[in-house]
Amino acid sequence: MIKITPEELKIITGYIHDISGIHLDASKKYLLETRLSVIAEEHGCTSYRELYNKAKRDPRKVIEKQIIDAISTNETLFFRDNGPFELLRHKILPELIDARTPKSPRLKTPIRIWSAAASTGQEVYSIAIVLKELLGDTSKYNIKLLGTDISDAAIRQASIGKYNKFEIERGLPRDKLNKYFTLSGGFWKIKDEIRIMANFRKLNLMLPFAGLGKFDIVFCRNVAIYFTLEDRKKLFNKIADILEPDGYLIIGSTESLTGVCPRFTPKRHLRSIYYQLK
Amino acid sequence: MCMSILIADDDPVIRRLFEKRLLDKGYDVQVAIDGVEAAGKLASSHFDVVITDLVMPGDVGGIELLQIAKDRDPLTEVIVITAHSSIDTAVDAMKKGAVDYLEKPINFDELFLRLEKIAQLKSLVRNADDLRNAMDITESSAAQTIQNLEITAADLQLKLDNIDKILKTNSLPDDVKVKQVRNILDT
Repeated sequence: MIKITPEELKIITGYIHDISGIHLDASKKYLLETRLSVIAEEHGCTSYRELYNKAKRDPRKVIEKQIIDAISTNETLFFRDNGPFELLRHKILPELIDARTPKSPRLKTPIRIWSAAASTGQEVYSIAIVLKELLGDTSKYNIKLLGTDISDAAIRQASIGKYNKFEIERGLPRDKLNKYFTLSGGFWKIKDEIRIMANFRKLNLMLPFAGLGKFDIVFCRNVAIYFTLEDRKKLFNKIADILEPDGYLIIGSTESLTGVCPRFTPKRHLRSIYYQLK
Repeated sequence: MCMSILIADDDPVIRRLFEKRLLDKGYDVQVAIDGVEAAGKLASSHFDVVITDLVMPGDVGGIELLQIAKDRDPLTEVIVITAHSSIDTAVDAMKKGAVDYLEKPINFDELFLRLEKIAQLKSLVRNADDLRNAMDITESSAAQTIQNLEITAADLQLKLDNIDKILKTNSLPDDVKVKQVRNILDT
């Protein structure tokens, strides 16, 4: 494994911040070495400075993408922390449908949900399963369920919707696994009826949210923790801009918006919290 | 860690040999004279490792026993014993989830090495599970604390905003302002 010098550590963490918004401090030295040395070796580099120079010069941004994939891969589970999904099922969706159902029975009820750090798709499909189970016939609704992530590799896997047994076994109850996935060649694949409910695309949360449209519900869980306070403020301000005035924001269970974005106010339901615009 | 091992082999000499060598090494060993008896033992007790002959008389052969063991507990590791001539069957067994195969005649040094590797792997998996559980507990307790702080901070902010509004209302006499602020602080 190639060792990183203090000087390179500064350059690389600065570069990662520029391309992804992810803020890594000196304590992440080991993480950088374990995740980046493979990429450095693959491109014939003997130091991280060399890798950095190569990445900067690469017009196709192949190395940049590889670095983002390597650094942004984080643990994600189906129904990770059940709270938000119970909240969605019992509180947010019923309230939202009440508010959005058009007077004319010929018009469909719009439901627009965005998972801002979708990773490999587990959260998006967990949301889709809740929608399916709660609404039954989803054709009566105009559902837009978008998952975005900064990692190309994560978005690719999310789009395919295929998971190995380690990715699937924690969090997902057996009955849901059998109902919404099919086993083939040792992998579990999400069924088409769930898959077609979702769309995935690459998005860097540090860049403007152009063309994203407005949303009724935004999930932004466990991603802002990797950003600096300044970047976090910008992120939640942009989320406030694309959220409907009566929309809902759900963040990670150990995250807080106090001192981050005064435009939101926290509301408690049972053991969970969600945020709405003031 | 003392692993529990189940031996299934219809050859009494091989059975005795396994039992003695593994007991000497400090493993917790049980033996079965065929697949049927081994399946019975698997139903009533848990084993870390099953070592089974591939070819045994009766309805339950090595492959069937492998599947029974894996159904019972996917973490139970199965080593199959095979004659040199039936390597293909051993490879098939590994595709079906066996962790390893041993050729006859048994080289016990080789077996002990593999068992040590399995023990190491099991202890790593257990550590990871313990850490995950500890993390889940820490996370959910932190989540409750943060939620309470979040709600408290929002309530206090609301009070401050209201007090600010009252203090900035020029039309109110000071004693009314004090009274209204007092009301907000008392709620």
